[in-house]
Amino acid sequence: MDDGVSTLVEMIGISKSYGGVRACREVDLTLRAGEVHALLGENGAGKSTLMKVLSGDVTDHTGEIRVGGRPVRFAAPVDAQRVGIAMIHQELDLVPGLSVAENIFLGREPRTRLRTVDRRAMNTITRGLLDRCGVRLDPRRPVGELRTGEQQLVTIAKALSLDAKVLIMDEPTSALSPVEVEQMFTVITELRREGAGIVYISHRMDEIGRIADRATVLRNGAVVEQFDARDLTAEKAAEAMVGRPVQAMFRTRTVEPGEEVLRVTDLVVTPRRERSGRREPDGISLNVRRGEIVGVGGLLGSGRTELLETLFGAGPPGTTRGEILFRGEPHRPRHPRRSLAAGMAFVPEDRRIAGLALDHSVLANTVLSIVDRIATAGVVPRAREAGKVREVVADLRVKLGSVTDPVGTLSGGNQQKVVFGRMLLTEPALLLLDEPTRGVDVGAKAEIYALLGRAAEQGIGVLLASSELAELVGVCDRVIVLSGGRSVRELDTRHAGEADLLAASMGEGGTAMAVETGAGAKERAPSGLRGARRRASAEHATREDGA
Amino acid sequence: MSLSTQDTETKAGRRDVVASLFRFQSLFGLVAVFLVAVIFSPRHDGELLFLNSDNLFNVVRAVSEIGIMAVGMTFVILVGGIDLSVGAVLGLAAVGSAVLMVESDFGVAAAVVIVLVIGVVFGFLQGVASAVFGIQAFIVTLAGMQVARGLARMWSGGQGVPIAYGDGPGQAPVTFSLLGERTFNGLVPIPALIFAVVAVVAIVFLRTSAFSRHVYAIGGNEKAARLSGVPVTRVKVIVFCIAGGLAALAGIVHAGQLNQGSPNDGFGYELDAIAAVVIGGTSLMGGHGTVTGTVAGALLLGVLNNLLGLHGVDPNVQLLVKGLVIVVAAGLQRLRPTT
Amino acid sequence: MARRRAVATVLTMAAALTLSVACGTTSENSGQNQQAGGPSEKCEGPDGEYTIGMSQANRAEPYRERMDDDIRAAAEDVPQFTVEFADAQQDNAKQVSDVENFLTRQIDVLIISPNEATPLTSVVAKAYNRGIPVIVLDRKVDGDAYTTWIGADNVEIGRTAGEYVAKTLLPNGGKVGELRGLAGSTPAKERGDGFRQGIEGSGVEIVASADGDWLRDKGQSQADAMFKANPDIQVVYSHNDPMAEGAYLAAKAAGKEKSMKFIGIDGLPIPSGGLKAVEQGRLSATLIYPTAGKEAVEAAEKILIDCAEVPKEQTLDTQLITADNAATVYNEANS
Repeated sequence: MDDGVSTLVEMIGISKSYGGVRACREVDLTLRAGEVHALLGENGAGKSTLMKVLSGDVTDHTGEIRVGGRPVRFAAPVDAQRVGIAMIHQELDLVPGLSVAENIFLGREPRTRLRTVDRRAMNTITRGLLDRCGVRLDPRRPVGELRTGEQQLVTIAKALSLDAKVLIMDEPTSALSPVEVEQMFTVITELRREGAGIVYISHRMDEIGRIADRATVLRNGAVVEQFDARDLTAEKAAEAMVGRPVQAMFRTRTVEPGEEVLRVTDLVVTPRRERSGRREPDGISLNVRRGEIVGVGGLLGSGRTELLETLFGAGPPGTTRGEILFRGEPHRPRHPRRSLAAGMAFVPEDRRIAGLALDHSVLANTVLSIVDRIATAGVVPRAREAGKVREVVADLRVKLGSVTDPVGTLSGGNQQKVVFGRMLLTEPALLLLDEPTRGVDVGAKAEIYALLGRAAEQGIGVLLASSELAELVGVCDRVIVLSGGRSVRELDTRHAGEADLLAASMGEGGTAMAVETGAGAKERAPSGLRGARRRASAEHATREDGA
Repeated sequence: MSLSTQDTETKAGRRDVVASLFRFQSLFGLVAVFLVAVIFSPRHDGELLFLNSDNLFNVVRAVSEIGIMAVGMTFVILVGGIDLSVGAVLGLAAVGSAVLMVESDFGVAAAVVIVLVIGVVFGFLQGVASAVFGIQAFIVTLAGMQVARGLARMWSGGQGVPIAYGDGPGQAPVTFSLLGERTFNGLVPIPALIFAVVAVVAIVFLRTSAFSRHVYAIGGNEKAARLSGVPVTRVKVIVFCIAGGLAALAGIVHAGQLNQGSPNDGFGYELDAIAAVVIGGTSLMGGHGTVTGTVAGALLLGVLNNLLGLHGVDPNVQLLVKGLVIVVAAGLQRLRPTT
Repeated sequence: MARRRAVATVLTMAAALTLSVACGTTSENSGQNQQAGGPSEKCEGPDGEYTIGMSQANRAEPYRERMDDDIRAAAEDVPQFTVEFADAQQDNAKQVSDVENFLTRQIDVLIISPNEATPLTSVVAKAYNRGIPVIVLDRKVDGDAYTTWIGADNVEIGRTAGEYVAKTLLPNGGKVGELRGLAGSTPAKERGDGFRQGIEGSGVEIVASADGDWLRDKGQSQADAMFKANPDIQVVYSHNDPMAEGAYLAAKAAGKEKSMKFIGIDGLPIPSGGLKAVEQGRLSATLIYPTAGKEAVEAAEKILIDCAEVPKEQTLDTQLITADNAATVYNEANS
């Protein structure tokens, strides 16, 4: 691209192989001062590798990196930081036991004259950094006590403290609430005004539409297309990423709901020990019928995950009040094992932490929940087991080399399918899903939605918790909105759109600013993501905002 | 398998070679040590002392107790735990065998059953403390080690209880002395036979049972296992029961071989058992490993001990060599291809 | 697939082991030649070359380390002898293996200082029945399947100590505190019993007794408590020198080391041993508990080179060490 003075970084002909697999092939990428450059691609397309090269994490690559026109060669991330390149990882690399300030200055603490750590200076500087990010946090608080969203902002503050000219953000909003996303966008806007360049990796097209100036799409390690953000639509992006036209994301047809499979009335949980960061159910009522997909919405910390965990018997020990009727019988959630045996299945939020043993085989992971059911006299029949796995692989179209490969070698979407498949093998009547498409690329997302549709058609009731408004509105028949552990609204997605959902999540009395910016986000969201049957009634009522 | 495409098969094939090299590192190590043992075996009148039938008999016999314990240890380590109490439980069981038969006039069968039950119950209590109350296995079994030693001292009066054989009072039934003998034409020591049976049962069990899938799953990702309906607590408790029971079995064998039950028996054996498991390629993080590896690891340690002993290597140097072997084996784990 | 290969490999290994066992040269299982007391068949006279296997129970104890050293030194004077040492590190099972390794290596004589009696009886008998002369040191084994036992009489040592206290230190009677060895161990019992025999009939009385487990630091803390409860103790009788040194330190901390007397047992001729402690005035007396290392090599010489018989038991005399003879004995032992 052009060699203007404003070019911060040029990556020329970058290639990198892992074993025989080429993760990057001859990739060119430029980053100009003051721009947000979106990097798109399915999982495994080479985005992360490319950024690891840029941040000095991967060093045995070919090709050239120029910073400010001068060729550089990094031996370690420190070298990259020295020339002003900082990466904010998807997995937050913070030490939970250390304070916010200690984390930000880890390894380069300011010293007093006596060579002791100058805590006062550290805390003062940290406070300034946090102010710039628009968060009010005590710099002395241990990071482990913070919510994920707050932690994310701390990592951004850390990057700011490095005086980074180039900031690499890998899915920075995946754990943020809408309000926090706005704060982060404010920071990004300011950074851009100061002349920094930002590489922004995300799967959320609405965000990219809002803040990116340019977008580069990678597929199989190579650049397939570059867009001006202005011309970018979700369809174009998805097509470039997948390499073929993508069918409609969301399902379009609702099956006629059958009998009621779950009814929850005034559910209140009092945990035996209060745990920070958790919001246990505090008055939740809802019902799910067979063939129905019911969404659970609400802001971060509204208690979505906690509700599902409680129903499944995976929550912390405590007393439960209220009534849970499952398949017409009173259900006392005690242990996941009992819930599964009763016909209730659960796909947890983070498959890496709670879903899979990543270095165990696809086979072992897939049959885990039924392995003792199919066993005769305690012995697992190999043939039957393999048959079950083949069934899952075929039904869910899991892409893999061999079922004996570690499940961690699969892409995120295919990993998620394995978790799904494991649960479907238990032949559940009710499927509880927590953020089933987080960290999953567009193609796999569509497949998972289709899968949900098929599950519903087979008469399974689905309860889907998600932070993605588009997903809730696009996939669910109804959405239960939680706030502070209570169910506050129920929306029918035939009549309500994302804006209604957000408004309901904030509460009718929520701050006007929050509602407006939230709706603003919606305003810019590319139209292609929306299902045909949704009518976003509030869409035109909101005023333009943001970039 | 049938699902793989040709392209990935060749790639996977190459990876398989490396992976299997690592999966069987303990076996390769064993073969290597065996060969080294043969090559460097001291000779006497042209005879390779290592291959002397008596000597091989000694090697497998000496390995049996550690081996039996290490099999139990493998289960515990597979779920990501550790059991430091097995050496002390061995001592408790040895004392128990001696006292029950010599002082309380129990028959062999009754004494063996009671001692095994004691071992299992001991494991059960540790399992409950660790799995139900959530105290770290390291701490629980560290405490358990002290408790078992204390019990053994109290039961024995602080002294080794010698086992004399005969029919009279104060004598153990002669059957028990079989543990010190050989069978199959004097070729196989009884303790080695017991070890072999334990190992084969464990290998088959770990390969085929649904229970073992749960064991591996817990070690691989405990949270995921729980959410997938694995009865995590129950499996963990059972695993500690297995370790306790096998340690007790090793204690019975110990008493039978040495004709005595002493409260100091098995001192430090837990570390040898852990070493055998680790050399056998089982990850201390849990989720990966085999009993086959553990058996190989135990044999490897035994052959090494024997070779060093036959050469009359200075006992202090022997410790150094064994330390190095453990570090090298553990270091090889780090080279294992990651996924 | 891979697993099946693993099984195959194990089976092959097992088969190889079994095969090598089966084909392995069978060593002289002819066995049962009880040595009836006549000259050993191992005896080839002064022209032969002999390997001594020395199986030590635990070299971490200074007494046993000195035993090894004495054997090494004595064997150096006999050109026909080479000695191999093994250390069982206080583990009976390890000592059994050590002896078995010696048998495999076809040693000509076994010297063993057993960790405990019963567990080692059968392996010692195995060696003896193969015609290998067995010299047992310090602790005995059960039965009589050994060539000779050399050691000291702990009861006698205790009695000598008692008599010394009754006659020399407290001729007019007085109060004694006792620091005992590890509870349940034979030497602790014998040294205690002997002492009581020695003071019988005199005015000497044991007013306190505590277990010091043979350890210096344990001896110190026990003595400390003992002095607080019985401030009128005049003499401390300790079952070994390190505990006596511990008691001395405890008395020193209480400011009464000058007014009290301390007796130990062992009298090792090493810089940290009881001889030096007596010479330097910390202990009033110690009783030598001989290591029997030199005597063991002499016995081996008789059996193998002279083709002579040795007595079944050989009890070594103890020696009372006081400030008068401590330096002389030390120098003699290390000359």
